[in-house]
Amino acid sequence: MSAAMNQRGGPARPISEPDANLVIRSVSKSFGGITALSECSLEVKAGSITALIGPNGSGKTTLFNCVTGFYRQEGGTVQFGDTLLAGLRPSGVVHLGIARTFQITRIFKKMTVLENMIVPIRQLGLRTLFTAGIKGYERERAEGLLEFFGIAFLRNELAGSLSFGQQKLLELAAALMAEPKLLMLDEPAGGLNPVMIDRLGAYIRDLNAGGMTFLIIEHNMGFVMQLCEPVIVLHRGRVIASGTPAEVRANPAVLDAYLGD
Amino acid sequence: MKIERRLRRGWPWAALALFLVVPFAIPEGFYLDLLMFTFMYAAMSVGWDIMGGYAGYVSLGHVGFFGLGSYAAALLLVHLGMPVFVTAPLVGVMASLLGAGLGFISLRTRGPAFVIVTLTFTYVAQLLTLDLKSVTGGSQGLFLPLLDLPANLIIIPFYYAMLALLVIAILVSIAIRRSKFGLGLIAIREDEGKAEASGVNTSFYKILAFAISVWFAGTAGALHAQYLNYVDPDLAFELIITLNLIIMSLFGGRGIVWGPVLGAFVIYPLSAYLVFLLPSRLAGQLHLVALGVVLVLVVMFMPDGVIRTYQAWRRKGPNDYRPVEPQASMAEAAG
Repeated sequence: MSAAMNQRGGPARPISEPDANLVIRSVSKSFGGITALSECSLEVKAGSITALIGPNGSGKTTLFNCVTGFYRQEGGTVQFGDTLLAGLRPSGVVHLGIARTFQITRIFKKMTVLENMIVPIRQLGLRTLFTAGIKGYERERAEGLLEFFGIAFLRNELAGSLSFGQQKLLELAAALMAEPKLLMLDEPAGGLNPVMIDRLGAYIRDLNAGGMTFLIIEHNMGFVMQLCEPVIVLHRGRVIASGTPAEVRANPAVLDAYLGD
Repeated sequence: MKIERRLRRGWPWAALALFLVVPFAIPEGFYLDLLMFTFMYAAMSVGWDIMGGYAGYVSLGHVGFFGLGSYAAALLLVHLGMPVFVTAPLVGVMASLLGAGLGFISLRTRGPAFVIVTLTFTYVAQLLTLDLKSVTGGSQGLFLPLLDLPANLIIIPFYYAMLALLVIAILVSIAIRRSKFGLGLIAIREDEGKAEASGVNTSFYKILAFAISVWFAGTAGALHAQYLNYVDPDLAFELIITLNLIIMSLFGGRGIVWGPVLGAFVIYPLSAYLVFLLPSRLAGQLHLVALGVVLVLVVMFMPDGVIRTYQAWRRKGPNDYRPVEPQASMAEAAG
């Protein structure tokens, strides 16, 4: 599969130019007395596949939630391209070109696979809102993406009846329907078998070659080291290391964080 | 199969044609009255279902909009001489604007909190009509002038107006169900956080759905007030009206276009017959008990409503085997 692979409006075609960096500066977030993020700063370069790793509870998902508008950060700024994301609703963040998936797969289980694909379209304006749901360009694009991920034959099945792996793929495919510039994946390889993980990696590479930027939280180090560069390590809400996979692997602070101090 | 498909597509038009000629065939008041109120409840229940069924937000406030619609139309008629058949859709628009305002506040809550906020709205509206005596007549209510028609024909325009309201409700519900907006509402019902993360502006969707939903209640309230030539706070804000809408929707099936319609066409005539057949001192209480029994039975044995239960039963039948196309793909690797 190549980056320009899809003739039917697959993932390569509608992605915007990879011109927007995600810049996070001094972002903090606490829950009661627990500090999840403490003046965390990092940058995701446009066109990269950046990994965000760290031990459990290091603040990775909290950072995702701050960027995507699910949490309000208590300090600092999040900027995507020229736009500050502070105060935006999650849907507003999506419309800017940032889509995400969740640590625990979230799909609309009582809707069909195709309906799941149509929900995330950029819906702006009343006129668009009241046009037929599953029709025209969106339908073609949805079909193209389902083909790309090999689940097109399930288009009319209820999403809840899909296997775990298929649901993961559906979540990823649906996130692509919003035509994001930056896709944030929260543990995409979690719970998948090795064959599936390899193929998922191939899909991500293909999409990246088409211009899409990725920020990936992942515990599967093999997957991260093969696929991602740079790798950013978070510990206790702060960035403790970043660099190429080899640099991060050799960093004593990272070893400390993972093995305990 | 072809015949079945034609039947499936044609029956609503056949039913509509039948209802259009009923007043000529059965001019008897009781049956026309029964049908007219069934249309009214069906239209309001379809409207309620846009919010309660598609978006999954159970509102007890629809009777508030029904009551305010009754009063608004009555006041426009009494003070400005504007006929209800002209003002009813505009009163509906007023209800929608009010609904959007209420939605802006109440739709920040969910579940029981939303139910309580909408119920509170109904009681506040009722208290206002009781207290603003100089405008609303207080507990004595308002009397509306009769239509200038022979007594036996008075029901006819209301019959057709309510039928039109039902047709509009069904068409709007179908249009919503097929649209991106409808998919967004169902997504909100399924997982609101995920819907928001998918780019659905959930607040806007919910407010718009609520505004559309209460238009039917406001418009029906306006027509209802003129039909009875009277409106008072007890009659206009009777909570049983909203409960009826919910039971009808649950009975037929929430979130399905025809679910609330079926519910209304079963529940209202049953209810009316009970009131008609039972001794008058028992009728009021017993038909409420019957409604309660229906609600319990539906929740226990058909929680998805009659239509979905029937569809599920049919799918399990031997004639509806749908093999999943075998395909060597990524999905298989997914297990």
